[in-house]
Amino acid sequence: MTPTSTKGMQSPWASRGPRLLEKRLGVGLAESRLIEPDTLWVRVPRALLRGAVETAVREMGARFLISVGTDQRSLGDGYGIVHLFSLDRDALFLAVECLVPEHQGGVDSITPIVPGADWSERECRDVIGVEPQGHPDPRRLLLPDDWPDGVYPLRRDFDYNERPAAVEGSRPPLKDHPRGSTVIPMGPFFPSLEEPSYWRIFVEGETVVGCDYRGFYNHRGIEKLGDSVLTWDRIPHLAERICGICGMIHSTCYCQAAEKAAGIRPPRRAEFIRTLILELERVHSHLLWLGIAGHIIGFDTLLMQSWRIREPVMWLTEEICGNRKTYGMNAVGGVRRDITPGQVPKIRDVVTGVEREILAVKRAVVGDATLLARTQDVGILSRKWAQEVCVVGPPARASGVPIDARLDHPYAAYDEVPPTLCTQGAGDTWARVLVRVDEALDSVRIIRECLDRMPEGPILTEMTGDFPDGRVGISVVEAPRGEAVHFVMTGGVNRPYRWRVRAPTFPNLQAMPAMIQGQNLADVPITLGSLDPCFSCTERMETVDVRSGQVTVHRRAELEAIVRRHRP
Amino acid sequence: MSALPGILGLTLLNVAVALLLSPLVEGVLRKLKAFIHSRQGPPLTQPYLDLLKLLGKEDLRTSSDPFYRAAPALSLASVLLLAAMVPMGASPPMGFAGDIVVLIYVAAMSAVILILVAYGSGSPYAFVGGSREMMVLLAVEPVVAVTLVVGAMKSGSLATGEILAWNHANGPSMSMVLAGIALLLALQAQAGKLPFDIPEADQEIMGGPLVEQSGPRLALLRWTLWAKQLVFAFLLVELFVPWPRTGWLGVDLLLALVKVMVVLVLVALVDVVNPRLRVEQAMGYYLRVAFASLAALAFAVIGM
Amino acid sequence: MLLSKLREAWICLKAGRVTLPYPFEPHDPLPGFRGKIEVAPDLCFGCGGCANVCPAGVIEIQDRDQLTRVLTFHWSRCTYCGRCAEVCPEGAITMSQRFETATDRGEDMILRLEVFMGPCGRCGRCFPPPGPMDRMMVTGFRDDTRGGRPDARSAGPLGSVRGVRRDSPTDGGHLPPGGPS
Repeated sequence: MTPTSTKGMQSPWASRGPRLLEKRLGVGLAESRLIEPDTLWVRVPRALLRGAVETAVREMGARFLISVGTDQRSLGDGYGIVHLFSLDRDALFLAVECLVPEHQGGVDSITPIVPGADWSERECRDVIGVEPQGHPDPRRLLLPDDWPDGVYPLRRDFDYNERPAAVEGSRPPLKDHPRGSTVIPMGPFFPSLEEPSYWRIFVEGETVVGCDYRGFYNHRGIEKLGDSVLTWDRIPHLAERICGICGMIHSTCYCQAAEKAAGIRPPRRAEFIRTLILELERVHSHLLWLGIAGHIIGFDTLLMQSWRIREPVMWLTEEICGNRKTYGMNAVGGVRRDITPGQVPKIRDVVTGVEREILAVKRAVVGDATLLARTQDVGILSRKWAQEVCVVGPPARASGVPIDARLDHPYAAYDEVPPTLCTQGAGDTWARVLVRVDEALDSVRIIRECLDRMPEGPILTEMTGDFPDGRVGISVVEAPRGEAVHFVMTGGVNRPYRWRVRAPTFPNLQAMPAMIQGQNLADVPITLGSLDPCFSCTERMETVDVRSGQVTVHRRAELEAIVRRHRP
Repeated sequence: MSALPGILGLTLLNVAVALLLSPLVEGVLRKLKAFIHSRQGPPLTQPYLDLLKLLGKEDLRTSSDPFYRAAPALSLASVLLLAAMVPMGASPPMGFAGDIVVLIYVAAMSAVILILVAYGSGSPYAFVGGSREMMVLLAVEPVVAVTLVVGAMKSGSLATGEILAWNHANGPSMSMVLAGIALLLALQAQAGKLPFDIPEADQEIMGGPLVEQSGPRLALLRWTLWAKQLVFAFLLVELFVPWPRTGWLGVDLLLALVKVMVVLVLVALVDVVNPRLRVEQAMGYYLRVAFASLAALAFAVIGM
Repeated sequence: MLLSKLREAWICLKAGRVTLPYPFEPHDPLPGFRGKIEVAPDLCFGCGGCANVCPAGVIEIQDRDQLTRVLTFHWSRCTYCGRCAEVCPEGAITMSQRFETATDRGEDMILRLEVFMGPCGRCGRCFPPPGPMDRMMVTGFRDDTRGGRPDARSAGPLGSVRGVRRDSPTDGGHLPPGGPS
């Protein structure tokens, strides 16, 4: 293992963490182990879960990532609920596990301590059936409204292609909107949203006074497929299709998690190739986003031109990877294709051209008063709320939160070619534009450095033997949208026992109500667009694809609580 | 009088220009927009094909109210009436003493009908679109009124034809130039071009007033918008830039068309390099323009 | 503000028109492009390696009587990843550069390959292989089992017939005419 990957192991929290938790909880931890290369895993009794999380968040500075619910009954452990945290300064992951024996109720909800865990716990309840007790908003999150109660798709006894009969007459009552306001529905099909999502915006005149969200129309059963039908080596191709734009991110993140669980390390050249392709993906994604943002506010010229600038990158990846977008480059243990010497000058040419054009566009739009009028002071996200809801990526950095998975948990070749942290302070849409443009330019620099420093050598580490049982691997990758998290637990027959994906849009969407509260209706699409939402990334959990515009119950008090929770 | 066949002929000519030429003008503007977008763009005759396609589709209505049913046709008719009152290469065929006031009302009629259609649609998007159309109309009408009043003051007449004749005879003056610029700025919103295409904001409110319109209704409403931009441009060009004038109808019409295209190309260029403003930002902008156009009025009062 | 608009306009004008004349003129993909899979039937000897690695479940393998192995390719599922081409020991599967693969004929979506298999030299039958992984290579791919247990109601999304069960390796005549449904 090279030095940086053991940074987590050597961090002070790796040893102090368990001791601190024991001290606070007053009882010995059921289990605590350091899992190579960068995970501290603690198991706590159910009654002490909240205390452990509180200690982690308040004293250890842990940032919540995602919760994983696993059906471990076949291992004799009941249901496992794991809350994953990241200790950013220490390059360490913290997993707080709690086992719930079968038929013995739920766990304490941690959402009162960590507002960002809201959706994660609801998702766990939807798919595993472990109730988060004390959750402020325990409604269904991703199961369709006509899904029968008591049927939990990610339990091992639920077959991946089982289709339970729809519950007749299950129409949730339409929610009340505040008196004096009208409802403007945005979605599920809407011109400015590329993917289905249903936002009910409550307006008075043109001012937004609240909103409700019903999403998860894009469920495709990816996690279930991963642990029941596919195998370790086939999953990268499925992971690549979690998102149309962040394909390389998800397949890399999965491969890295699987490699950690298997205890193998891809060759250095493969890590550089992964870094190169990841940064190419970032450049094209940010340019795509710039165009979409322009289109949302009616600036079609920006759309056309930024997509024109982006096109050479697509041709380049077609040449390097074989396809404009679904690269198919990753395999567990390395990459499938090499960069030939003949391709190197072409890569340099393309990125130089793109850089020149991005700089020209940046220079041109910075003084554009009409563009600034639509993006400045629009959709403001305060730093404090961004941290509470655990927003990641450019929306977090634009609000001044200094997190970047490439710097906090260096992976691939980022220890040798680190990115620059691009932050802004204003937290409005314009700040997010600037962060993304700066990141795209920085990516060009990283691509050049990768080409300069790429070592010769093999591109794939072959695995000899099976995956060892009882191992876990956690990997984060900085997608253009933010930090993506993949978690694998070994133990299946040539496949993961559990594969959990958290896309960056999952926490980012939870910040939407606060961002549009009090804004003009015209600003709602651009605010949503400035989060760069990728709904396909966010929604992977279900086998049944239901396109219903039905609204979940959202009592008025709850709605008020949610949208008024944020007071800048 | 022997002027009657002339008036009829001229009216038909104006209506024909507004009706038949406006899709071609729209096609040119789309091609220009595509050129700036670095793409090929649709053929110049595409708007004609769009109209043909839409006119052949099923007529789905959300309301059986007879006014709602007739509204798109009425909207187009009002623009054609406006076309008959606007000079195109000659004096306006349906001109009469005091017609500048009537012109302002007829000019607003199509927008009002669109608002009524929006509220009759029953869709929340259309409601929002209708209210935005109203606000934009309220913001732009004062500018139009002030500029036309400036023309009236300078020429001492409330008849469009006489304002034109006076301006042609007396050459450019400070107040008329300022008024012309103000009307040019107002044209951006009247033609429904960015940054002021707020009512029809595709991406934000699914097309606004037009969201529930389809088939022949949509064809007529779109045609109205295209004819409107052409007719308003004619009004601007003929009233404020009436030179040169040869006296032969064909040549004058052609010259007017050239000037109209210059103006519309300018409007399209501004359209293509701008995002959409919010409605209150647009209203603020036009308030400022209205105040500035009062300067033109002031100049007119003192005789400049 | 005006300056920024002029700069924007300049960027647009400098770029010129970038629309490609495709499809009025043909467009050849760059070398290395992963296009449609081509199968050379003479080279295939029915090892099933392609079926083993395909992430999308394109390739289905079934044995019909003692001598014939039927490989069915469901092209509509293919994601052009190229793993089958990488793995094939005989080079029977190659990736072409074809990308214009739209068709309105359903039969274009299925390719059936029948491979003559040699029987065991001593008893003349195909023998049941020892382990589950080896069995998969003989009895068929994707039999929708969990933990190796054959599942009677194993019907995938396309409703097609799965592999032969362990106790009846020869299923003579079981296949409906026209291939798997």
